[in-house]
Amino acid sequence: MTNLIQTLISGLSLGSIYALIALGYTMVYGIAKMLNFAHGDVIMVGAYSGIVAVAQLGLSPWVTVIVSIAVCAVLGVVIEFCAYKPLRQAAPLSVLITAIGVSYLLQNAALLLFGSQQMAYPKLLKLPIFTVGGVQIDGITLLTLAVTAALMAALTLFIDRTKLGKAMRAVSEDKDAATLMGINVDRTITLTFAIGSALAAFASMFYGMTYVYIKPTTGAMPGIKAFTAAVFGGIGSIPGAMLGGILLGLIEQMSKTYISTLWADAIVFAVLVVMLVVKPTGLLGKPMQEKV
Amino acid sequence: MKKRAFAMLMAVVMAFSLMACGNEADNGGSGGTDDAAETIKLGGVGPLTGGYANYGLSVQHGAELAAKEINAAGGVNGKQLEVSFQDSQGDPESAVASYGKLMDWGMNVCLGGVLSGETASVVTAAKADDMFIMETTGSADKCIDGNGKAFRICFYDSYQGTAAADYLKDNALADEVGVLYQSDNDYSAGLYSAFVAECEKAGVTVKEAQTFTAATATDFSTQVNALVNSGVKVVFIPIYAEEASTFLTQAKGKFAEDVYFFGGDGLDGILGKVSQDVSIADNVLMMTPFAADSADPKVQAFVKAYEESYGATPDQFAADAYDAVYTVKAAVETAGGSTSGADLAAVMTSLTLEGVTGTMTWNADGNTNKAASAILYKNGVGTLFGQESAGAAA
Repeated sequence: MTNLIQTLISGLSLGSIYALIALGYTMVYGIAKMLNFAHGDVIMVGAYSGIVAVAQLGLSPWVTVIVSIAVCAVLGVVIEFCAYKPLRQAAPLSVLITAIGVSYLLQNAALLLFGSQQMAYPKLLKLPIFTVGGVQIDGITLLTLAVTAALMAALTLFIDRTKLGKAMRAVSEDKDAATLMGINVDRTITLTFAIGSALAAFASMFYGMTYVYIKPTTGAMPGIKAFTAAVFGGIGSIPGAMLGGILLGLIEQMSKTYISTLWADAIVFAVLVVMLVVKPTGLLGKPMQEKV
Repeated sequence: MKKRAFAMLMAVVMAFSLMACGNEADNGGSGGTDDAAETIKLGGVGPLTGGYANYGLSVQHGAELAAKEINAAGGVNGKQLEVSFQDSQGDPESAVASYGKLMDWGMNVCLGGVLSGETASVVTAAKADDMFIMETTGSADKCIDGNGKAFRICFYDSYQGTAAADYLKDNALADEVGVLYQSDNDYSAGLYSAFVAECEKAGVTVKEAQTFTAATATDFSTQVNALVNSGVKVVFIPIYAEEASTFLTQAKGKFAEDVYFFGGDGLDGILGKVSQDVSIADNVLMMTPFAADSADPKVQAFVKAYEESYGATPDQFAADAYDAVYTVKAAVETAGGSTSGADLAAVMTSLTLEGVTGTMTWNADGNTNKAASAILYKNGVGTLFGQESAGAAA
C-alpha cells in the first residue's frame, strides 16, 4: 500500500512537470496552429539563464525568477520573429521543419556556450520533505502541482475573459477574418509566443529544482513527452494539457513500478497510440469540424 | 581547390604506402621496417570535444605525459616518441576517418580508441595493416576481438562485473544486493550480466534489479523507491558518472546511512559531476585498478607530474593511457626496436609491467591481468577502501 502511494506521488511529481511543459505546447498550438518543437529547448535556455543568474551574477532567487521569465519570453518572441513569421503563408510542414531546426540551433548554441558537461541548477527555494505515514512527499512536488494548476486557471481566464484573449481565439478560428475585424494577427501571435515561452521559464525552474542537472539536451526528451501529454489531453485544450501531463506521469511511474522499468516508455507511447485510435482529438479536445 | 588537390595527392600517396606496408608484411613480416625513422609516432583516437570529451582529454594528457617523460629520459632505443590524437567525438564512424588521418601522418603504433564503440571500429579498420594497437580504455568484451595485434591496458567489462561480485564476497560486504543498470548501454549491461553470473557462483543474492535507458535517465524516483524498499545494504551501480550523479542526487536522504553504492570505472569523475554538494557521493565505492591517493611512490610521482602539467588530478583514463605508452616502450625494446605490429604482438605475452594501474601481464587474447581495489568516497574525499579495511582488520 505504501508502495502504491509512493508510486502515485512520484507519478504526480513527474506528471506535474509534463503538465507545465504541455501548457506551453498547447497554448501555442491552440492559437497559432503550429507545433513549436523548440519549446523544450526554450526550457533548457531558461534553466541555463537561472544557473547564470545565481551562480555567476549572484542574483537573489526572486530576481532570478524574473530574469528567467524575461529571457524565455524575449527568446520566444525572437524565435517567432526570425524563424516563424517569414513562414506565415507557407505550408505547415515547412514551419514544423523550421521548428526542429530552431531546436537544434538552440541545443548546439548551448553546447558552444556552456559545454557538454552537466551543470547543477541552484536551489531557489528550500522546501522540506514531508513524511506522512511512511510516505515521503517532496515539498517541490506539491508546489509544482499548485503552480501548474494556478497557471492553468490564469491562462484559461485570460483567454476566455480578456480582450487580448478574445483576439487570440479569433486568430485561432480564422486568421483572415480576424484581420478583417481589425485584429493585428502578427502582434497577437507574437504575444502568444511570449506567453508560451514565459510558461517555459516556469517549467525550467521546476524542472531544475526537481531534477537538478542541466545539459544542452535537457529539453529534448521532456519536450517530446510533454508534447505526447498535450496530444493525449487534446492539443489546443489548456485543461487537457494539465490532465494529459499528470496522467502520463502516473502511467509512466506505475508501469515502471509494477510492470518493468524497461517497458515504461513503450507503454507510455502505446497508450498514446491507443488514445489516437479511439479518440483522435484527445481526452478534452474539441471535435474537429470540416470547414466548407 | 589547391587544398583539395593536395589532399587527393596525399590520399593517393597514402594508398600506395599502405599497399607497400601490406606487401612487406605478407613477405614474411621481417619487421624493423622503420629503422630509418628518427621518431616513433603514437596515434590515438578519442572524443576530444562533445559529450565524452572529459574521457578523451584525460587519455590524451596521460599519453602525452608518459611520452614527455620517456623522451626526457632518452626515448625508446634512442628514438623520440611523438603523440598525436584525432578527435572522433566518440563516434565509431568518425573514428575510422581519424584512424585514416593518423595513418597519413605516419603512425607507427596505435593507442586505439577511448570509448568501446570507436575502439571496435579502429581495431577492425587496422586489421589488414601491420599495426600494433595498445588499447587504453576501450573495455567492452569484444571491442578488441578479431585483430590479433590488439592488446589493452584496462579491464574488460565482464571481468569488472566478475571482480565486483568477488570483491563483495571477499570483503564480506553483503549477501544481498540491489542493482541499478542502464539497459541500453553495452558497458552497463555487460557488467550487469557478468556480475549476476558471478554472484550466483559466490552465493550473493541479487534481490532487486532496476534499469533505466538513456531516454529515461532523468527520473529515478521509482528505482530509488524499489531499492530502498528491498532493504539491501549494497547497491551495485555499473553506470557512468553522469547518470550516477543524477541517481545519487535523487537518492540522497532516502537510503539508510550504511548503504554502499558500488560501481566500476564508469563512476570515475563522480565528484566533479556532483560538485555543488560533494556529500551526494558519500558511500560511493568505486572499483578501480588506479587510485590517485595510493601510497605507491610510482603512483605518487605520476599524480604529481600530471597535476603540475594539467592542473587536475589524473583519473583512471589518464592512468591507463600513461601505462599504455610505457607498455609500448617496453614492447618496442623487447622486440629489438621494431615497431611492426606482428613483432610487438608476439612479445606482449612475455611482458610484465609495473604501471600506475598495477602489475600487468597479458593473455594471447589481448586482455590484461591485474588486481582491483576500491575507493570509498566520504565528504568529497576518496580513500582506498582495501587499505582502510586491511588496517581495521589488522
